[in-house]
Amino acid sequence: MFHFGGKDFRTWMLKATVALVLLNAAAGTMASAFAQDAKPDPAGTATGDRTAVVDAAGNPIVMAEPADKTASDYTKARKDYEDYQAQAAKEPLALKVADNVGHLKIATNFSWTLLTGYLVLFMQAGFALLTCGLVRKKNAGHLMMLNFAAYVFAFLAYYAVGYAFQFGAVALNAAPTNLGGTPTLNHFLIGSGQWGFLGGKGFFLTGPAYDAGSNCLTLFEVVFMETAGYIIVGAICERITFWAFLICELFIGAFLYPVFGCWVWGGGWLSQLGSTMHMGHGYVDFAGSSVVHGVGGFCAMALSVILGPRLGKYGPDGKPRAFPAHNIVFVVTGTFILLFGWMGFNPGSTLGATDLRISVVAVNTNLAAVAGSAAAMLLWYFMFGKPDITMACNGMLAGLVAITAPCAFVSPTSSVVIGVVAGVVVCLGVLFNERYLKIDDPCGAISVHGYCGFFGAVAVGIFADGTYGAGWNGVGALSYLGKAGQGVTGLIHGDTSQFWLQLGGATLMAVYAFGITFVVFTLVNKVRSMRVSKEVELAGLDVPEFGMLAYPEDAVEMLATGSQAHQGA
Amino acid sequence: MKRVDAVIRPSQLDEVKQRLTALGVTGLTAFEVRGFGRQKGHTETYRGSEYTVDFLPKIYLSIIVAEDLVDPVVEAILKGARTGVIGDGKIFVTSLDEVIRIRTGERGPGAI
Repeated sequence: MFHFGGKDFRTWMLKATVALVLLNAAAGTMASAFAQDAKPDPAGTATGDRTAVVDAAGNPIVMAEPADKTASDYTKARKDYEDYQAQAAKEPLALKVADNVGHLKIATNFSWTLLTGYLVLFMQAGFALLTCGLVRKKNAGHLMMLNFAAYVFAFLAYYAVGYAFQFGAVALNAAPTNLGGTPTLNHFLIGSGQWGFLGGKGFFLTGPAYDAGSNCLTLFEVVFMETAGYIIVGAICERITFWAFLICELFIGAFLYPVFGCWVWGGGWLSQLGSTMHMGHGYVDFAGSSVVHGVGGFCAMALSVILGPRLGKYGPDGKPRAFPAHNIVFVVTGTFILLFGWMGFNPGSTLGATDLRISVVAVNTNLAAVAGSAAAMLLWYFMFGKPDITMACNGMLAGLVAITAPCAFVSPTSSVVIGVVAGVVVCLGVLFNERYLKIDDPCGAISVHGYCGFFGAVAVGIFADGTYGAGWNGVGALSYLGKAGQGVTGLIHGDTSQFWLQLGGATLMAVYAFGITFVVFTLVNKVRSMRVSKEVELAGLDVPEFGMLAYPEDAVEMLATGSQAHQGA
Repeated sequence: MKRVDAVIRPSQLDEVKQRLTALGVTGLTAFEVRGFGRQKGHTETYRGSEYTVDFLPKIYLSIIVAEDLVDPVVEAILKGARTGVIGDGKIFVTSLDEVIRIRTGERGPGAI
């Protein structure tokens, strides 16, 4: 087999790149060959007209002609439609204004979605600083490059196939109406109707995906995928080779993340269980505790198990040793950047500023963050006598991860409770991984994103209070649990089925992300070890992998740290 | 001529320096070093795992003086560096054979 980084590998990469370019061209031709029922709107001039105009309760001003003559409310619907037609014929100017209002509404939502997407993009910088600060100085350059390359390569994988797998059928069951509905993305590659397993339109963003509304969604969703992509860095750093890491990123961007994402956000089967099996509102994950963070966290767990712990992490007696962070300033700054970026991650997930729930989402997100951090600081103080700065930061991220799924459906009070529980979960999770499972996770990524992501998804099923999300996933648009306007509801507010589905869905997520990653990368690891050699690991990965140090002034000091590394320092 | 070396706490450097320059000491070399003496290191916890800090940061001072200044210099370091807590450091006095000023080639006490 070829050697990663060797000449064979380079030739193989070149061939693969050429093949991808050809495939790209073919996808473009095919997409234009098959005429679409709905036409894409690349210029954005046709997206958003009077049909987008609704009142605060979501009722449209444009009445559609009722098709089903046997429906019980047919007579009323017919009359509403005829009234609307008569009214419209008398007021042509009002219709023009309505078209403009509709266009402006979509434009407002575009601005919101794109800007919050940029905030999420900036989280990349926060995560790079956080993880870089948490590792030893000799690997600082490697960490920055992993975070950087994650963005680059996972983005290309998502552009090529990931987006189509995830959102290729979004218009069928989960049309983003705030962005104009992207009606051109309407085909499942595997499955159909409400039992979709894999989207099938929009490969290489050509044809149906070369559309203003669709691209707005692409930008917002690609940075979410990147989040799942960089999470793994925290658990596999200081020992993985760059080439193996790139394969991990392509795998996440092209396959692992989009598939589960399709099930939950692309109108796939898991989201439709409310309609098909009468289980709550279907599986609900507002901004991705499980879809983004859980998948990333459990993928990281599998990779960390395959790689094994860093040299010297466990002494001969099996006791874990500390490898202290090299730059606490980076760690705290990075955490704050992540908090700031999360103000895009969660409120932005409405995909529209015309959904005024955004303020509640923003407050809930912040509350869980501070509650998580406070819990971690206090718990650590009682357990070890001093609060640990890095665990305080992990606690904040734990609160953020856990509130990501329920943020739109719960009250501020519940957010504080969720944050506190997450802060405790992350601390115990870090100790449990390190002491009992003996999984070496330098930055706590498994605990923060995996465990708290799982908890966040379940928290929807416990704390959701029914004030928001009426008609979510097509369930209970008129009334739910006997109440009009009742939204997603959790266990303590009376919907048991939602809780069980959340628990089952989150478990499925953990098994899926861990299982597939474990199988695929055990095979990759058999072909060629994903881990650097012992000498490289002891010397630090910066120079052997990239030929340069993060801090060049340390060149002389390297000799000294090299000898310390033998003692596991 | 004598060479007075002293290992002191980094926090005491400024006070020691002020006392020495007040005495008329014209030159002083300081190194940032790490080491341990009788105080040994201490253990800390990082993310739940204990680690020992064996080598503590210290300042290593090196001062070259004429014979008559040795006692006042030692006295000044003692006063400036002492906090009374374990870990204050040590002073070493050694004889010195020759001092040469590189710019002029001057030798002996005049070159100090």
